[in-house]
Amino acid sequence: MNDRRAQLLWFWLFAGPALAGFALFSLWPMLYSFWLSFCQYDVVAPPRFIGLRNYSYLLMDDPAFWPSIKVTLVFTAVQMPLAVAAALGVALLLNQPVQARGFWRAVYFLPSILPQAASVAVFVYIFQADGGLLNRLLALAGITGPAWTSSPVWALPVLIVISLWGFGYPMVIFLGGLQTVPRELHEAAHIDGAGAWARFRHITLPLISPVLFFNIVMGVIGALKVFDLAYAFGAAQGLIPGGPARATLFYGLNLYQQAFTYFHMGLASAMAWLLFAVIVVITWLNFRLSRRWVHYGD
Amino acid sequence: MLSQIRALLLWLAALALVVTGFWWAGHSREPEMQAGRKVITWMLHISPLRDLYEQQVAEFERLHPDIAVRLIWVPESEYHMKFKTLAAAGQTPDMFYSGDVWLSYLRPFMADLTPLVARDAAEIGLEDYFPEIRAAMQHEGHYFVLPESMNISLLYFNRRLFREAGVEAPTADWTWDDLVRAGQRLTRPASGDRPGVWGCSRMAGWWGEWLIFVRQAGGTVFTPDGRRCALDSPAAITGLRFYLEKSSKYGISAPAGFEPLNGFVNERVAMIMGGHINFWLNYNAVPGLDWDVQMLPAGPAGRRGGEVAFAGYALSKTTRRREAAWELMKFLTRPAVTAAIVARGGTSVRRSIAETEMHDPKRQGRPQNLAAVYRQLEFSLPIPRHPNFLEIMLQVVQPEVDRMVLGELTPEEAGRRAAAAVNAFLDTFDPQAR
Repeated sequence: MNDRRAQLLWFWLFAGPALAGFALFSLWPMLYSFWLSFCQYDVVAPPRFIGLRNYSYLLMDDPAFWPSIKVTLVFTAVQMPLAVAAALGVALLLNQPVQARGFWRAVYFLPSILPQAASVAVFVYIFQADGGLLNRLLALAGITGPAWTSSPVWALPVLIVISLWGFGYPMVIFLGGLQTVPRELHEAAHIDGAGAWARFRHITLPLISPVLFFNIVMGVIGALKVFDLAYAFGAAQGLIPGGPARATLFYGLNLYQQAFTYFHMGLASAMAWLLFAVIVVITWLNFRLSRRWVHYGD
Repeated sequence: MLSQIRALLLWLAALALVVTGFWWAGHSREPEMQAGRKVITWMLHISPLRDLYEQQVAEFERLHPDIAVRLIWVPESEYHMKFKTLAAAGQTPDMFYSGDVWLSYLRPFMADLTPLVARDAAEIGLEDYFPEIRAAMQHEGHYFVLPESMNISLLYFNRRLFREAGVEAPTADWTWDDLVRAGQRLTRPASGDRPGVWGCSRMAGWWGEWLIFVRQAGGTVFTPDGRRCALDSPAAITGLRFYLEKSSKYGISAPAGFEPLNGFVNERVAMIMGGHINFWLNYNAVPGLDWDVQMLPAGPAGRRGGEVAFAGYALSKTTRRREAAWELMKFLTRPAVTAAIVARGGTSVRRSIAETEMHDPKRQGRPQNLAAVYRQLEFSLPIPRHPNFLEIMLQVVQPEVDRMVLGELTPEEAGRRAAAAVNAFLDTFDPQAR
């Protein structure tokens, strides 16, 4: 056996299982779901080809599709910048030489390891309209608080607040990035008279821009795929998931319900492919725009 | 070279192991015979009656030594996903839970029991079931389910709050006007440490209450052929309007979102319009809660409109152990089991047990007005028979009703929007709708 054949053999020996797994459990289901998106399929009866009807129903007739797009985009546009800013702000503080720094890092990371459903259940009680902690505090100040969790106006902002509770993972990534910023650059700038904001703006931020970009991309993708937060929010109040009046009907939740509650697998597949297309476009845009502000030090 | 061959053999062995595993998993079946006994599978919710079912199955197996029963316990929230997964894999349980809203949904999997029911009518005591229950057990004249217990919408009221407000207890001839008048006298704001009380609850996010008003006003969800939505009819809109105006005009129910948590149990709500029987055990577990029931107040088109739902058992149409599963089904629905369920706070689907219970001088506890329960049955209607009823009501209609309650839509707009959305849904998922 010559070298090339031997290399090929070793390649297939090591890459084969992973490629087989990818083909069997990722590629094939993806292709099959693409086919299903043109079918009516309820898991039991064989798929029935219906052309573009799933797509036309979603785009033209489904009363839940556009509200779920709106909820998801609003959440992404508001929550992602807030979450990234909070994670970066806390990471900057925890990068300072403060006492018990390890303890504080653990404290800020802890909420991220709590199950989201448990956090949501606690927050729902805090935001309860009748007798909830927040409205009782407001009542002490003579203010009648709104029905936070069951008002279509307030439900999504409440969910955004709840979601900000767990920013531990981006915070840790920022901390890692901040620790790679050379101290000498800060010292030199300080000697030259640069203030804290100027040093952050012109030294720290450019040097951690790849990390910032990574957190933004992951934050956007995560926000577009929100599911458990909204599901637990409805369940904790005994509401239909996505309520009140579709105010928290995230795209991922809508897709899950179509697939696994009502078994419209064809429709859910069409939704999944539309979401895939949107994520591809947004991520591509992100990468295009990143050329202007992300510095890789080359 | 040798090491390469060894690695290749190892890889092939691992691959063979994985393929064998998949093959075994795909072909694994519950043995039809277990030590000479026929095995039947019964899929059911995890429920407080679990020990009763297990006792009954043990007794059944003792009496039928040739049959073994395998119970598949599934959490209620996962029941239908598990069921459809098993059905898709060709492993539908021989016997499974069905009833009310699920009858239409699961009917494609259910055996037509009509010949068995006709053959064993005397043995199962078919005539002993209430006529409304017998009607609910059927679809287009065919029997698909044997019932175990039932649920009826009733008016629940707190006797202590009525006494304190000096309001006479509800009577069987109440109308919506009486409900409003009593509700207004019972409603009182909070003062000092004394919490406020609402005259009547409002069930939010579910059809349980507003559908009663729609029906009592003469409306329906679907046209009689089940192919179009009729929630935009004037009668249906009258019902929706009353549901809204309970808080917005008459002030007897809390505004949307401000409903007290567990209001009836915490004595912050004096009445529940359309409450269900499965909460009796909870109410009776609350010390000092003095409650009772009455028939639903009548609407402009009459009293008819409350919901009757029942739980029961169905057979898989693909079962190969049909007679054995039918024997189990008959065993589980015999009068002794109905009586045991009633003793645990359930309601009888059989007239004989209901009459015994109503006239039992030793019977204690609540509700005291059992006669109202069985009389209300005469005025109750089953849930509309549509395979997508749950989805249509929860996902398509309810958000419009929620928006109405929140003041974003008028009843006319809510009815119109709901009907249009349901019709679009039917056009896509029910091609025969048009």
